[in-house]
Amino acid sequence: MITLEINGLRASVEEGMTLLEAAKFLGFPIPTLCHMEGLSPYGACRLCVVEIGEGERTKLVSSCTYPAQDGMKVRTASARVVKARKMVLELLLASCPQSKVIQDLAAAHNIRQQRFRQEHEDCINCGLCVRMCEEQMMAKAIGFRGRGQDRSVGTPFDIKSDVCRLCGGCIYVCPACQLRCTYTEPDKAICGGCANLSPSCLEKPEFDDMMCYMNPCVDCETNKD
Amino acid sequence: MTRLNSVMELRELRSMIATDSDNGKPCLVVCAGTACQAGGASDLLRIVKKYIIENDLFDRIAIRVTGCHGFCEMGPFILTEPQKAFYTKVDLDSVPRIIEAVLADEYVEEFLYANPVSGEVYHSCDEIPFFKHQQRSLLAMNQKIDPIRIYDYMAQGGYEALESVLLSQHADWVIQEVKKSGLRGRGGAGFLTGVKWGFMAQQDGGGGKFLVCNADEGDPGAYMDRSILEGNPHSIIEGMIIGAFGMGATNGIVYVRNEYPQAIKNLTIALRRCHDFGLLGDNILGTGLSFDIQIVKGAGAFVCGEETALIRSIEGHAGEPRQRPPFPVEKGIDGKPTAINNVETWANIPLIFRIGARTYSKSGTAGSSGGKVFSLVGKIKNTGLVEVPMGITIGKIIYDIGGGPSGKQKIKAVQTGGPSGGCIPARMFDLPIDYDSLAAAGSIMGSGGMIVMDENTCMVDVAKYFMNFLKEESCGKCYTCRKGTQRMYEILDDISKGKGTLADLDLLEELANVVRDTTMCGLGQSAPNPVLSTLKYFRAEYEAHVKDGRCDAYVCKDLVGAPCAAACPLGTEVWKYVAQIAAGELDDAYQTIRAANPFPSVCARVCSHPCESQCRSGTGDKQPIAIRALKRYVTDRADPLLFTPKPLSEDHDSGDKVAIVGSGPAGLSAAHYLSLSGYQPTVFEADDRPGGMLVSGIPSFRLPREVLDKEISALLDAGVALHCNTALGRDVTVDGLFEDGYKAIFIATGAHKSRRLGLEGEDSKGVLPAMSFLKAFNLHGDELARGRVAIIGGGNSAIDAARVAVRQKTVDKVTILYRRTREEMPAFEEEIEAALAEGIELQVLVSPVEIFTENGSLSGVKVIRNRLGDRGADGRRRPVPIEGSEVELPFEKLIVAISEHPSVMSGDDDSSSIPEAGSSGNLLIDESSLMTSREGVFAGGDVVTGPNTVVDAIAVGKQAAQVIGRWLSGEEPKAPRRTLLPDVYIEPVLLDEDEQAEADRPEVPEIPAAEREKDWSEVELSLTVAAAMREARRCLRCDLEFTQPKEEAALVQTTQGELE
Repeated sequence: MITLEINGLRASVEEGMTLLEAAKFLGFPIPTLCHMEGLSPYGACRLCVVEIGEGERTKLVSSCTYPAQDGMKVRTASARVVKARKMVLELLLASCPQSKVIQDLAAAHNIRQQRFRQEHEDCINCGLCVRMCEEQMMAKAIGFRGRGQDRSVGTPFDIKSDVCRLCGGCIYVCPACQLRCTYTEPDKAICGGCANLSPSCLEKPEFDDMMCYMNPCVDCETNKD
Repeated sequence: MTRLNSVMELRELRSMIATDSDNGKPCLVVCAGTACQAGGASDLLRIVKKYIIENDLFDRIAIRVTGCHGFCEMGPFILTEPQKAFYTKVDLDSVPRIIEAVLADEYVEEFLYANPVSGEVYHSCDEIPFFKHQQRSLLAMNQKIDPIRIYDYMAQGGYEALESVLLSQHADWVIQEVKKSGLRGRGGAGFLTGVKWGFMAQQDGGGGKFLVCNADEGDPGAYMDRSILEGNPHSIIEGMIIGAFGMGATNGIVYVRNEYPQAIKNLTIALRRCHDFGLLGDNILGTGLSFDIQIVKGAGAFVCGEETALIRSIEGHAGEPRQRPPFPVEKGIDGKPTAINNVETWANIPLIFRIGARTYSKSGTAGSSGGKVFSLVGKIKNTGLVEVPMGITIGKIIYDIGGGPSGKQKIKAVQTGGPSGGCIPARMFDLPIDYDSLAAAGSIMGSGGMIVMDENTCMVDVAKYFMNFLKEESCGKCYTCRKGTQRMYEILDDISKGKGTLADLDLLEELANVVRDTTMCGLGQSAPNPVLSTLKYFRAEYEAHVKDGRCDAYVCKDLVGAPCAAACPLGTEVWKYVAQIAAGELDDAYQTIRAANPFPSVCARVCSHPCESQCRSGTGDKQPIAIRALKRYVTDRADPLLFTPKPLSEDHDSGDKVAIVGSGPAGLSAAHYLSLSGYQPTVFEADDRPGGMLVSGIPSFRLPREVLDKEISALLDAGVALHCNTALGRDVTVDGLFEDGYKAIFIATGAHKSRRLGLEGEDSKGVLPAMSFLKAFNLHGDELARGRVAIIGGGNSAIDAARVAVRQKTVDKVTILYRRTREEMPAFEEEIEAALAEGIELQVLVSPVEIFTENGSLSGVKVIRNRLGDRGADGRRRPVPIEGSEVELPFEKLIVAISEHPSVMSGDDDSSSIPEAGSSGNLLIDESSLMTSREGVFAGGDVVTGPNTVVDAIAVGKQAAQVIGRWLSGEEPKAPRRTLLPDVYIEPVLLDEDEQAEADRPEVPEIPAAEREKDWSEVELSLTVAAAMREARRCLRCDLEFTQPKEEAALVQTTQGELE
């Protein structure tokens, strides 16, 4: 067991725990996006950052990957943490405005506007699908390709992979892609939940195949002319 | 050669080589580093070898092919030993002469390196400032060693350190020594090497331990690691073997990028030799130490320089950093303890053990010991690698070693630490270089890249360049790094296109801070540095882009258009009239010039031509287009009556009266444009004729009076009233003018009052301020100079005064006394040239200290010699008097021309009505509206700025007309942002082959100096037709980037239409 201090609360946690696990164990909520129990921690979305250290030597680290260490001082919701988290959400919202997961997170952090050029991407490279495929489905059919702005998820050479069993695990865990719930033909949609909601954005051509859950909708706000 | 079986055998071998090597034969050292090879070192070597073979000189001369010496600007070069003569940029034909000179122990003076400024020739490379101010330990080895010859390395004390370490038999001692040396990682982060080694030594090495040499050098413009690997691979191998002994490591890996073939080749050879000698492999030198090194080639991903990404790359995965802790020393390659150090860190290890840790720790600063190799590139005279002790100031590296800026522009900033580093502005150049001070300034040491930037570098563009690099080189794992760099690039791109807002700047800063905070590895954490540091130190530049749509470095294409037009304060479409000259359409060219400039013939003679300083033809060694001479060519030939000024606005013909005080270029331009806008301007002039400084300051041999009078009267004809002999404060007052019904007042009275020296006797007979002297002659024809005349000052009025004086009848000799050197003189270069040609003497580095008088009139001046001291805030070096160097010089006349300042309304005007003025008498205005502290009173020109150029005065006059017009019609008095992008396509006329060969900036014809003696006719003549056509056709036509022929434009439109 190791002893550390989270948000002023001294507690003992098991050795080998990450800061995220320790905080959750103690009841401190930390928002996550690329983290999922049963998959190895990855640290891609940077939403779960917490502040560690004391005095002038503090820094932000991703709690999902950082191991809990003896004597650590951790703050899960300091001003610096919240500021960073909000910016991360703003960036996410600017790229993937149609994702319900992101919209919910943004709403929970009171973000209703983003200040960047609006994009409509269907992947945030969180790597959940890659890890799901490899670690739970034992397939390794998909992986990351390229780096920097060209990084993407896919099969090698974009050819249908022989090891893919079409299990749908990748789609199941995806927080961003449209396939899961915005399919325009309800009988082909996987969960079908979208059929029960009134489509606020559908009139706009670029939202033909999307569904929005947010009220007020960030994207509609931004594109309002 | 045999395998060495014990440390003693190594010692014997070393001592044998040491006694053997010095055979006294002269040697030619040729650098074959990558930069020199690109410069032709391979050909040079071939010719040298051929000459030696053909002349059978084997016994008399040796050749050594080495790695990089650092002075890459000068490659390829030959360094001779033992003379140390340094022949630079060697031409293949000069090889025989150099070889013969070496054999005869002589020098070929004309090929030796000469100081580009003073012309001084250096006989020994140690005297060359570039080398003299360095402290070379690692790089010095490079020039003594052929990298593929292990004997060369041993002859220079190589493997001596290993020998002492192995003899000591104490691994702990090795760690202690490294700790004691205070060595910090040279890769950039600056972690204490000894501490890292200590951790590593404590790890359980059951399954093996790894040492890695990180040679994944990927910073744009940095190549010090490559040079060490190429030039001295054994120093790294030796360092790593010592490390293996100290830390108990079994495997070594050099991770080098595949783009360094020469380094890989030399290292491979070196490793093979070490195996042959038993310095690597099992049971090294019989000590039981087993250690081997292999090379892993990286594919060139920048992020693989980050240690955890590097480990993954070595393991065969994509280079992607992971969370630390666990640190590599605990869990590295394949989960085994791994110590990763940079090339330069490893190269420092043998040095530490050779000279002793204590000695090493004494060099450099307390927190950062030792030296550091920097790669000095960019707008600097001496590009190359420099090795300096930590704690040296940036200024010393840039000015003393680097030789200052490569072009005419001043150095503005230096970017240290590569893409993740920051920009440090010139005003902070006395910052000592060490890890901590650089970090405090918002930059990093990084691996040692140092990119020098001058005034032609746009800081927004710099930040944009690095963001572009990083958005592609980020591994993409952390969302904030991948998306953050993209978004920062996006915002910067908008700013560089004039589409940014002030809110964008705040967002940029906010985002940059979050990216720094939230990313996992060093790449992301330091990625915002270029943005944050430029925002911190050059925010004004960002704001100029955003608010005024201006890029003062003339880099951001969408804001600049053609740089010549952007540089012209009047916005003259220079490219257009140059193109029209090339096409032979002189009348059109005149229209283009006159459309922007009410004084074309005046500017054709006396303009400071800022257009030429920004001309793209003038980059590098080339000369800019002679734009002013071309303008003269047009104005001399075209008929001014061709141009009829068009009324600027027809709708509001208000007829409001506007008073303009001062009839210089600013006042007359304002009057001209106000009259075109439907107002009634009246110009008040204190002297007896209009023209201001144009007539009273500029002598007629530069600007003939008939040319000036013609242009002024053309402006006065068009509805402008003029009252001469009417001075503000004496004859009229601000309040009085308002009472007389003038709705607005524009004050443009210039700066006519000469500054005083502040010496006793300055008011005695024979001492004159330059302005009084010039006015007396220019306005009234009084020749006040006689005998021996001294002029004090280095500006344009000093030169004008000198050239007027030398033409006056009773003058024997004219001497200009200036306190700095000619390089720092603010006067136009061509004017200084002309003055010298006319027999005027120029004495530099002297200041007057005492004035001697006899019977109340001047008899002489005592001057003191100066030397140049430190650089002031303006980048010029300050004159420092040399004590005891005073000399007395006899003069009959002393003209003081040390700048002028404005003096407004010294009369009996009610002081409350006078607009607020600054300390030197200059009126204070709001820059965008030109409004003084008093509502309705505007001011511009020299009365605001102090002595300035004609073209700036005209520009402010134009602006005044605009803002006054807006103010009078109730709008906000701000001149709208001007857009300058070229919009008319003019068919380019290219140079034919013959012309191409001769194409160079033409000399402007002048009356020969001999004929100018006591002669007042215009000195400069017009270009010939052929010369002007050739010069106009030489123009690179930057405008063509923005325009296209009609047919093409139509074509583009139709294809676009079809696509849609």
